[in-house]
Amino acid sequence: MIRLENMLPKAFLMGIMEMVDRFGPEETFNWLVDIGIKLAEIEGPGFEGARENNVNYLPVCPFGSDLVEFVEMYGGEQPSQFLELIEHVKNKKEASEDGWNYPALSGVLGILHYSYSKKRAELAGAELLSLGAKSPLTNDLEYNYKAIERAGMTKEEVDDYLKKSYCVFKIDYHDKE
Amino acid sequence: MNHKKAYELYENSVKILMENQHENGGFYASPPGTRYPFIYPRDHSMAIIGSVDAGLMDQAKKGLDFVLSSQKPLGEFSQRYDVDGNDASYKDLQIDGNGLVLYALGKYFEGSGGSFFEAMADKEFVLKHWEAIEKAVGFILMNKNEEVDLIHTVNSIHEYPAYEHGFEIYANSACCAGIFAAVKMGKALGKDVSQWEEEANKIRNSIMAKLYSARRRSFIKCIRVKDRTSNPIGYDAFASSVIDVDAVEYAPAFFGLVDDTDIKVRSTVKRIHENLWDKEIGGLNRYPEMWDRNNGGYGPWPHFTCELAHHYIRVDNQDMADLYLEWVVDMAHKNQLPEHISTIERFEMWVEDYTSAKILRDSKLKMIENTRNHPKWQDGLAYVTIPLIWPHAEFISVYRSYMEKYG
Repeated sequence: MIRLENMLPKAFLMGIMEMVDRFGPEETFNWLVDIGIKLAEIEGPGFEGARENNVNYLPVCPFGSDLVEFVEMYGGEQPSQFLELIEHVKNKKEASEDGWNYPALSGVLGILHYSYSKKRAELAGAELLSLGAKSPLTNDLEYNYKAIERAGMTKEEVDDYLKKSYCVFKIDYHDKE
Repeated sequence: MNHKKAYELYENSVKILMENQHENGGFYASPPGTRYPFIYPRDHSMAIIGSVDAGLMDQAKKGLDFVLSSQKPLGEFSQRYDVDGNDASYKDLQIDGNGLVLYALGKYFEGSGGSFFEAMADKEFVLKHWEAIEKAVGFILMNKNEEVDLIHTVNSIHEYPAYEHGFEIYANSACCAGIFAAVKMGKALGKDVSQWEEEANKIRNSIMAKLYSARRRSFIKCIRVKDRTSNPIGYDAFASSVIDVDAVEYAPAFFGLVDDTDIKVRSTVKRIHENLWDKEIGGLNRYPEMWDRNNGGYGPWPHFTCELAHHYIRVDNQDMADLYLEWVVDMAHKNQLPEHISTIERFEMWVEDYTSAKILRDSKLKMIENTRNHPKWQDGLAYVTIPLIWPHAEFISVYRSYMEKYG
């Protein structure tokens, strides 16, 4: 159900579809990354969510309800533009030498989430690695194996966190080592 | 009151404050390795005030340096920080933190001057952080609703939006007192703070008029409003009032916005005592049991008990001050104070409620284990999260006030 007062999340998700149609997945990816960075600069340094040592995770998916509601409007299937964008980012991650620098992506909003969180970590003097994510739509798990390796962790360790969360990050303070 | 035991608790409270300040300046809410090993501006501010009252001015200054340097770009102080001063929040806005940091800074400023305020007050320190003070006040005023002249928040002292989302009394009192503290510091530095003073007076007047129920003869907890910019608020989706008794309805007097002898305060405290003094184990509960958000079982909180004790000292009711402080002293375990105390029956009732509802999470499972393993369990009491730093800071302040008056 759309009401004017709760229209914005749906309008934003519709906007992502429009961006993919008009400008393609690469421009849409860059657009979402830029939004995340700009919001992070307003909010300042920090790490949102639960933390165990230097592992940061979110027990609740921050965009889950909005995404599920939006996808339900499309009969429960993700719009093709979302799938195209997710595939595009996965390909970039695989092809890139610094593939650890991309999100483990279970949904399009993970791009925004990661760029925002990564920039806030950077402002705090840390590198944030996106290790794994769980889709709020299907509970399917996604990993960034290059990031897991760089974090010095194992997939099994990431899985343990994904049992109680929707996304797992490693906070690396290189200058403190 | 058992003065020997009270003094031992005071001495240990000072020690606990000192031991739980990280070298970067942040006061842990509870010691590393326990439930709250982060720096929460609310708890941290009370620890700073406790430090000032204990004469630990260097520790207070270091704590203020930490939190003022950790301010977010828009002027907000977060729900919590890590020891490096990075935002580590997991909850939405709790604007009382802004008021409390300013209020604690004001207490430090006053304390640094003492009897020779003009000559001795630490103006240099306040000047160093003046930009942060301006931004902190600005952030509070950014969240003021122009229709009712009250500050909007999502969470307040109980971190419970269901009853605190809107114009909540603790958040408004803390923020109003924080702006008044900033006004006082600004005047001492020769700044033009007339606009802030005008705004603070508007907020105080609104607290007295809109957050007080004449028929109930009590301050009320909250005017629920979803959006801070709602105007008219009568059309807001949440528009309603929370009129349940809450220990923090004492906040206007606690923060010095109204005298404790005022009839509004006296009748509010009477309602609080009649409804929240625990009939079974003594001490002051924070809100009614039927809210059923009783993590660790319903029961009294030492730091709210200490806060109300201030009232009885200020109105010179020593019998009641003794009742409140004796309870705190009696309940201390090895001179340590917990977050709150419950009975085994209520604790297990809470475990059952939350288990059935499937709302127990990892941190609570750990808390359950620790509570059941605490030695006081054998006495039939559930000591939840011990030590918590906040009640020790509160005890320091109220003990000093008590001894100044009756010692």
